[in-house]
Parts: sequence; C-alpha cells; structure tokens
Amino acid sequence: MSLWTHIPGAFSTLAATGVDAGVVDIEMGRPLFLLIPALPALAALLCGLYWALGVKSKFPAWTTVAALAGSFAVTLVAYFEIAAPGLTHVVHGFRWINIAFGAAGGERMLFVADFSLYIDSLTVLWMLFVTGLATLIALYASEYMSDDVGPGYCRFFFAFSLFVVAMACLVMGDNLLMLFLGWEGVGLCSYLLIGYFFKKPSAVNAAKKAFVMNRIGDLGLMIGIMLAFLHFGSLRYEEIFAQVAILQQDGGDLAWTIKAIPYLLLVGAIGKSAQLPLFTWLPDAMEGPTPVSALIHAATMVTAGVYLVARMYPIFLLTPESLTLVAWIGGLTALVAATIGMAQYDIKRIMAYSTVSQLGFMFLGLGVLTSVGAAFHVFTHAFFKAALFLCCGAVMHGFAGQLDLRKLSGVQFMKGWGIVGVAMFVGCINLAGLPFTAGFFSKDMILAEAFTTPGFTALGVIALLTAGITAYYTFRVYFRVFLGPQHFEPGDELHGHDEHDHDDSHGDDGEAKTHDDGHAHDFHPHPPGWAINTVLVVLAVGSILAALAYVFPRETGGWVKGLISTSSAAGAAHHDHEASFFGLGDPHKVMYYVSGVIALVGIAIAWWLHLAGRTTAATSRADAIKQKIGPVGRWAERKWYFDEIYDFLFRYPLLIFSHIFYLFDKLVIDGLVDLFGRSPRSVGAGVRPTQSGGLQNYAMGMAGGLAFIIVVAWLVVWRMSS
Amino acid sequence: MTLLMLILIPLLGAAVIAFSPERQAKWLCLAWSLIALGAAVYAAFTFNWMERTGAFQFSASWTWIESLGIELSLGADSVSMLLILLTALLAPICALASFTAVQERQKLYYSTMLVLFAAMTGVFAARDLIFFYLCFEFTLAPMYVLISQWGSSNRKAAATKFFLYTFTGSIIALAGLVYIAWKWTQIGDGWSFAISDLEIAASQMSMFEQGWVLLALMVGFAVKVPLFPVHTWLPLAHTEAPTAGSVILAGVLLKLGTYAIYRFVLPFTPLAIQEYAPLIAVLAIIGIIYTGLICWVQRDVKKLVAYSSVSHLGFCVLGLMALNTIGAAGSVMYMVNHGLSTGALFLCIGMMYERYHTRSLDEVGGLASRMPVWAFFMVFFTLASVGLPGLNGFVGEFMCLLGTFQSGAVDFPGGTTGPLGPWYAIAAASGMIIAAIYLLYMVGRIVFGPLREPSDHHAHPVLPTDLNLREIGILAPLAVLCLGLGVYPTPVLRSLEAPINRVGVIAGFHDIEAPGSDETAPAHTLVLVPEEAWP
Repeated sequence: MSLWTHIPGAFSTLAATGVDAGVVDIEMGRPLFLLIPALPALAALLCGLYWALGVKSKFPAWTTVAALAGSFAVTLVAYFEIAAPGLTHVVHGFRWINIAFGAAGGERMLFVADFSLYIDSLTVLWMLFVTGLATLIALYASEYMSDDVGPGYCRFFFAFSLFVVAMACLVMGDNLLMLFLGWEGVGLCSYLLIGYFFKKPSAVNAAKKAFVMNRIGDLGLMIGIMLAFLHFGSLRYEEIFAQVAILQQDGGDLAWTIKAIPYLLLVGAIGKSAQLPLFTWLPDAMEGPTPVSALIHAATMVTAGVYLVARMYPIFLLTPESLTLVAWIGGLTALVAATIGMAQYDIKRIMAYSTVSQLGFMFLGLGVLTSVGAAFHVFTHAFFKAALFLCCGAVMHGFAGQLDLRKLSGVQFMKGWGIVGVAMFVGCINLAGLPFTAGFFSKDMILAEAFTTPGFTALGVIALLTAGITAYYTFRVYFRVFLGPQHFEPGDELHGHDEHDHDDSHGDDGEAKTHDDGHAHDFHPHPPGWAINTVLVVLAVGSILAALAYVFPRETGGWVKGLISTSSAAGAAHHDHEASFFGLGDPHKVMYYVSGVIALVGIAIAWWLHLAGRTTAATSRADAIKQKIGPVGRWAERKWYFDEIYDFLFRYPLLIFSHIFYLFDKLVIDGLVDLFGRSPRSVGAGVRPTQSGGLQNYAMGMAGGLAFIIVVAWLVVWRMSS
Repeated sequence: MTLLMLILIPLLGAAVIAFSPERQAKWLCLAWSLIALGAAVYAAFTFNWMERTGAFQFSASWTWIESLGIELSLGADSVSMLLILLTALLAPICALASFTAVQERQKLYYSTMLVLFAAMTGVFAARDLIFFYLCFEFTLAPMYVLISQWGSSNRKAAATKFFLYTFTGSIIALAGLVYIAWKWTQIGDGWSFAISDLEIAASQMSMFEQGWVLLALMVGFAVKVPLFPVHTWLPLAHTEAPTAGSVILAGVLLKLGTYAIYRFVLPFTPLAIQEYAPLIAVLAIIGIIYTGLICWVQRDVKKLVAYSSVSHLGFCVLGLMALNTIGAAGSVMYMVNHGLSTGALFLCIGMMYERYHTRSLDEVGGLASRMPVWAFFMVFFTLASVGLPGLNGFVGEFMCLLGTFQSGAVDFPGGTTGPLGPWYAIAAASGMIIAAIYLLYMVGRIVFGPLREPSDHHAHPVLPTDLNLREIGILAPLAVLCLGLGVYPTPVLRSLEAPINRVGVIAGFHDIEAPGSDETAPAHTLVLVPEEAWP
C-alpha cells in the first residue's frame, strides 16, 4: 500500500491523466533510514548537553565520530537496498507543515511539506560522501581542535553534527521545502563555524557575509519554491516530476511562470555554490577552522547548488535556455576564480578560490547536459579537495597558523611531515588533472561534453584555459610549500596562548607579517599525530581509488553513471550528431590527450617559476614576471575588486538609504505626529487649568471625548440614512 | 465560565497583591500568574482544537446593559485560544523577569501588570463588541502606568505619546464599530453588540459604507499593529518601557491590532477589503523594507528590536491581506511566533541591561566571552526572528509569503482567489535579506567580536556574570516552544483551518462550504488532542 493513498491530491494529477511516463515506482522505505539524519541530530543534542555540563574532554568528538559513522553505515545499507538496484523509496518521518486550503477552483487542497525522505541513487551518492567525509573529518578535527577542549570543543562538534543533519535534510528531503530547511540549516552551521573564533572581527564579518550573501540566493530559491507550488500544486518531488513528464510529453508552449522556475532555483544554487556573482563569501569563509573549510566549504555544502540543479534537472530541461545560463555562469566563474587563485599567497585561500573554480566546472557540466560528469566531479572533488584542505590545515596547525606560501618551504622532507606531503601531492595531481587521476577523468567528461554540445565551443576553450591555470596554481603551492629548501616562519598563533586572543587576521591577502627572527628560532613545528595522519592516508587513497569509479563497473559505463542514470538527473539527452574537436576527432577521445598535455604544461610552468626558479623561500622567478605585468597582478591579488565594487554598488547605497530613512522617520513622520499632537495645545491654552497632568483627569477627558465622538458619528450616520 | 475565570484570576491576584505586604508582591504575582497559566493550560486541554465548523467554544454571556443590547459575552475559537495561551504564558515570565529589575513600588507594579494581563485576555475572549472595546482600551492605562513609572529616562514623554496616539486611533475605530451596530438596529430588533449579529449587519452595508467603516477600523487598528506610517510611537515606547513592559508590548499588545483586523476588518467589510487590501499590503511592504533598513543603523539595541517589530508585523498584516487560508493561518502563526521570539529578545536585552546599564552597541559588545549562556539564548532567538526554517519564525513568515503569492492566481493549481499576487510576495520577501542583515549586525556586535564593556562597569550586586537559574528558567521554556512550533507546527495549523474558513465564508473569499467533510486525517497527532478528536 502506498503511503500517500490517504492524501487526496497526492496522485490525483497522475490518476486523472493516466500518464506515468518518467515516473518511477515509489515504494515506502524502511524507517531505518531516518537514522541518517537522526544519529547526527542525537550527537548534536549530546554535544549541547556536554556544553551545558561543562565537559572538558574529547567526548564530543568521539560522540560525533560514532554518530556519523553510524549514519554512514545506514547510508551504505541504503546504497545496497535502494540505490544499487535503481529503486526510489520514500520514507515518511512526520508532518512538518500541513494545512488545507480552498483553491481558486473551489476544491479543497492540502499543502504538504513533510519531514520525509526521498531516497534514490542521486540522494545516496551525495549522502555517501557527505557522511563518509564527515566521519573522517570529525576524526581529524578531534585532534585539530584539541587546543580548544572545553566549551569551544563542544560548540564546534555541536555545529559540526548539526551541519550533517541539515545536509541530510537538504539532500534527502522529499519536497522542496524540506530542501529549503536543509539549505538554510547548512547556512546556519556555516555561519556558526566560520564565526567559530568569535572574538576575531574578521571571522565575525566573514560569517555574516556568508549568511547574508546566501540569503540573497535563498530569496531566489524561496520564490522559485513558491512558484513551483503555484504551478504544480505540490512541493513533493514525485508529483512535480510526474507533472513535468506530462508537460514534456505534451510539448507546446510553456507559460512564462514555469520557465521562470529554473532561473529562480539557479539564483539559490549560485548563492550556495559560490558562483558569479555571489562567490565572494567563500574565500572569506576560510576564517573558520580548517576542518570546517574542508567539509563544508569544499566537499559538501557548496555542492548543494549542483545537487539542486541535478535534482530539479527535469524542470531545467523543460527550459533549455536556463541550462545555457548555468553553463556560462559556471565557465566564467571557473576562469575568474582561477585567475584570482593564481595571485594569492594564503594557501587556504588559494584552495578556496580553486573550490569556487571547480564548482564552476560542475555547473558547466550541468549546463552542457552531462549531469554524470558534474556529479562525478562533485564526487572526486570531495575527496581530493578535502585532502588538500586537511593538508593545509595540518600545516597551519603545525606552524602556528602560518599559511603564507612565502614563509614555508620544503615541508615535505621535514621530520614527521612525510604523510602530509604525500597526501598533498595526491590532492594536487588530482586537482591539476594529471592523466589517470580521478580529477583528470571527471574534468575530462565535462570538457569533452562542452566541445560536443553545439554552441559551447567558446566555453570549452575557456574551460581548457582554466584547467591549465588550475594545474599551475595547484603546483605553485606544492612546489613552494612542500619542496625546495627547508625554511619556515611560524604564524602568530603560538601554542600556549589562547588562540582567540589574536584579534588580527593572519596572512590576509598575503600581507607579510613582521616577525623577529629570534622568535622563529625558538619555535618547533609539531607534526601531526595519528588522527590527522590516518585521515590523510584514507583520503589520499580514496582520491586515487575514485578514478576506478570512472571505469568500473563496465556495464553501466562507470559507477557514478550507473547511479545517475536511475535518478531524476538522468534526463540529459545524448548528442547524436558527430562532434569534432577542432577537426581532430571525437572530443571524448581527443580530450584525454589535450587536457593531459595542458595539465602537464601548467605544472611545468609552475616548476620553472616556483621550484627551478626559486631563490629563497619568499622569492622566485615569478616575482619578476609580476613586476613586468604591472598592475594586473595586483588587481588579481585584490580579487578584481569584487568586494569593493559590491560595497560601492549595493552596501553603501543601502546604508545611505537606511540613514536617510531613519532621519526621515524621526524628523518627518514623527515630526508630523508631534505637530499634530501639539496643535490642540495652542487651541487649548485657554483651558489649561484642566491639564493638571493627573491620570484621572485625562481619563475623564477621554470619556468625554469618547462620548463626543460617538455623538458626532451617530449624527453623521443619522444624516446619511435619512 | 472558563474564559471568565481566565480573566478573573489575574484580577483577583491584583486585588490580593494590593492588600498584601510590599515584599511579597513579586511572589504573589508569580503565584497568581502561574495559577492563571495553569487554568489556561487546563482550558487548552478541554478545548476541542479540531472543531470543524469554527464555532466558538466556552461560550457564555451575561446581560449587562439591556436597553443597548450590551452583554458580557465570551467565547473562543482556536485563534483566540492560541493568543490567550500566549498571554497566559507571558504572565509568569514577565513576573519573573521583573524580580531584580523592579525595586520600587512593587505592589503597584505587579498588580498593574496582572490587570493588564486580565484586560488582554478579555480582548481575545470577547464576543461582544463593547466588552472587546472596553478591554482593548483598558490595556492602555496599565501600560501607560508601567512605562511612565518604571521606564527609562524619557519615560513620561514616551508613555504620553503611546497613550494619546493609540487612544486617538481607537476612538476612530470605535466610530466605525458603532456604525455597524447602528446598522443592526436598521435590520434587527433593537440594539445588539454581539459580534455574530454585527457580522450579519455588516453584510447589509453598501460598498460606500464599508469603505468608510474600513477606513475607520484600519486607522485604529493600524496604529496598534503598528503599520507604516503610524508606527513612530512604538520605538519610543519600547525603548523607554521596563523589560516586562516591552515583552508585553511586543508579545501581546501589538497582536491586539492584527487580531482585531482578523476578527473585525475581514468579516465586517468583505467588499471593501477586497478593494483596499492591495493598498494596505503596500503599506505593510513599505513597513517591512523601510523599518528593516532603519534597524540597520540603530545604535540602541532595544530600539533596533523595536523597529524590527514594525518590520515583522508587516508580514503579519500582509498575510491577512492575502485573504486566503494560508495567508491568514500564517499571520496567526506569526502573531504567536513574534510574541515568543521578539518577547524573548527583549528579555535577553533586559538581562544584559541589568548588568551593564547601557543598551548602546557602541559601549557593549562581544559578550559571548563573558556570558556564554546568555549568548546562546540571544543567538537562538535572533535566529528564530530571522526566520530560520526549523524554528518558529519561518513557519509564519513562509506561510504569509506563500499566501500572498498564491492570492489572486486563479489560473493555477496552487492558486487561490484574493486581491494580491506574486509581486507583493516578492517585494516582501526581500525583507528576508534585510532581516538577516540587521539581526546579524546586532548579534555580530553585541554577542560576537572583541569584548567591550563600559569603562565604569561594576559587577551587579546580586546577579552573577552570566545568567542565573531564574533567568535561564525564563528563557528556556520560550526556546523550547520556538523549537517545537518550528519543527511540528502542523497540529496548530490544522486547528486554524476551521475558524479561518468560517471568517473566509463571511468575508467571501472562500467557496468551500463544509470543512467537516475533511478526510485528510493526519497520520500523527499531537498528544494535546486525543486521536478520536481528529476528523
């Protein structure tokens, strides 16, 4: 029996038309899967309890790791039971927002937004890496955050667990409103965790910026959700997809309102996935602790935009122009972010820009109809970018917060840093797209498809250029920080101090901080312990093995492809016509060579400039080039002045308006009120003796006035009626 | 009888306090308000929340002035009951919140407060227009006393302005109400002020008459809400009022305005409201954006929250003006939610003020490192206020917006009849961003950032640095309710369907006749109502 039979309207649209094209059989899933969000929720609750009880141990970390591991195990069950056979299950949790209302036609409708899970292969793919990586990164954080054991530790793991709950709602919700619940929920956790070092003004501002910019996107998403409800009379995926399938079958002209839905959803996706023009919050979000950057701002939350587009792919496919926009936004974001990444000195920020850039690749993939490529890139990127961030975090942790690549050199061969160096190398070759790595395959799928789809050649070229730049800036970091002569200057977060007491932001925009030399000599970097190293090994191995998902199992054309083809994101049409990469042949084949060569060229340039051409830790051959190109380098370093332009265009005008409004409110609106209130005073100068100020006198006056007005009103009425 | 008890208990408490020693006043106030809360909770349990016709329960009436047909008539539907519960809940909270803050003339203070609560309960329980109006006006005097006697430095001016402004408005509203009563004398048998009679009388009014009545009612009720541009009394009154006064003001008094719009404007002027709802909606939207931006440049944190009330209540009025079920239900939810979250924000600010004697964002900041428990609550209620899904604020806000969005979209499966449309909702939804900007600005300064304390700051003689158990006990129930209403609002929403449908039928925006034929039984029900009580 279907769960929905008792809700009239749930399948009424299907029953009425008799169409079931494109609709998969929805089965009622096992309540077991509710544990996926419930276990982290329990962990969050416990961490809150630990905070209240003043627990000063690593309990919060172990609670979180255990809960997340449990969540991962249940997700694995979901994989074998639901995703692997290509099924779709709906698990009903509880009723969230339900209300009956009278529709325009007079019939009674039910607004339903329940806490229910929609589990198909797309959901499971996302949840596998979300819960898996969250478990690993929580383990990493147990060591990384160990200086804060106490209230801060509880707070950190509370928000960390809550994040996984919200992410589960976002990915697993069976309706758009539950997606919105998760959407804002991850935004909240991101806010709390970016602002984790809450005494630092820069962290507080970054947190606020992230939340507000996300809210701009959320506004679009919210309007899109309301428009979808207006159109489909439901927010539940199965009903929306069923009606979209009908629309697709009927063909014909679509109302503009339905065409607007994908664009509005896209606004939300842009905000969450840090695409042009709403990308500037993500680099600032690096103020948060590094495990947070790895999990939330690289591997999982920022891919929510990709998930939204993939989940709502049928609606996007109804309006193909919207996908063109997705592709262009993605391609341009990839390029712009990569150019900024080239010019940064803070390694964490370089990784942040590279995340923005890689997310651009994913959007490009969605736009050129390879949802498989986009999803695969999300998957591989989650592994290698998490590895890269966690390596940067290990360095930051070991060198007292040092992140400036001019002040670190040769870390690979320092004692105790071998694993970090190797993991970093694995991450770098994936990000750079060195042949036969997972990152190489997933990026290739997107690049090749850009050249296959008619009209996207220009974007393909942009993407190829970006791939080259990516290889360059990735290995710029690796060559400078991990190879070369051994040298380091510690950052300003020396242990033994309360980390919170440093109010200045470190290494911001590569501004050199002055440290006296003696200070540096007393400092001993401390290499990572077992937790960090274990996690790095697992992630590095995972990054390498992810490549296998491109090839195996052979019958479905790769693991990810198999998963996507049974989900709502499968709708991508295949291009039947013969495409050619500038006359060289099938782009899918040629791209292997072209992108491989481009990656190698990028790496070679990085080697020539930053390893072969390095003189000291802080200087290299690149400096001379930077001198030659003049201000362009500085412009790129200043992020092409995006922040300043936004301030000038939006923030300051809005602030000026606010001040004007406040003055207007005080002087004009309230002034008129006072004027109005004062006028009887002059009239009543003659009756001043009655104004004794006593409340009882006013009350008498009130009663008198009341009587007077009643009489007047009555007279008016009487005159009107006679 | 039940409702009469709910009104009489606080009044009795006030009398008892008046004849008791000064130092017992606060304990007596707490005890009596807890009794009142207990009675209200008992009433809630005996109340049939799933009454499918929207009929009034606990109805009772006593003849008062026979020649004019005035009766002391009481009754409640689930909308009234929710607001009565909110009022009853805030009573002990306000009493507890005043324990250390109010040191002088405690007898007068606590008995005034209880009288105020009785009057507010009376407003929500009244089924007779004169009794309603009496209670509606009678809330002014105790509030005037609270502000003018226990307020801050500029309290006299604020209290006077509050009193005269809202009083002037209500007088005009009374003229409109009396006109309808007169209309009843034309069709009925002598005078009657029973609201159910007047609903019939109102339907006999021409469009022209309804227009004037609407204007009269809206002038009065808009001041109370307050709606732009008649809102300027509120920031002043809030800033000067003592903490409990602000909580009552934000929590319940403002809702008298929106409740009156729901209860009287919609059913009494069905034709005119269809015509003028867009105009009122525009004022509400201007209020949302304009006062929202004003919040952003406030230096006084209490004034910031006060202005944010104006902005938030804009959503509430907008939802009502959508003239459909989701909008109206969202608006009622918003009334309750705003009372909880903004009331709690005022409580948090009051606790901070007791310790630092300043509300200026320039003088205090970064208190999370000094008062972590306080910071937790402050951030929590701010998030509820921002409208974060999962907390209560979102439910009301989303439904107000959705109701507005679907209003008038008659060609769509998810649309309803109504005078508004998507553009209104889109304009109002920009308030989501503005709310995030100003509320996070507030939290970013006062909770987070480097610690800033006034240079002449001394530790409070009684209170600890962080919150004590009493203060946690004040905030925790509110936080639990915020979370509960955010996660599981469905029972409340479903209980609102029938009364709203009743108003909808009178106001002519619904063509569903019998909601009794509702077969959509929810699978899971709240313990509040036995399973059999659901349809």
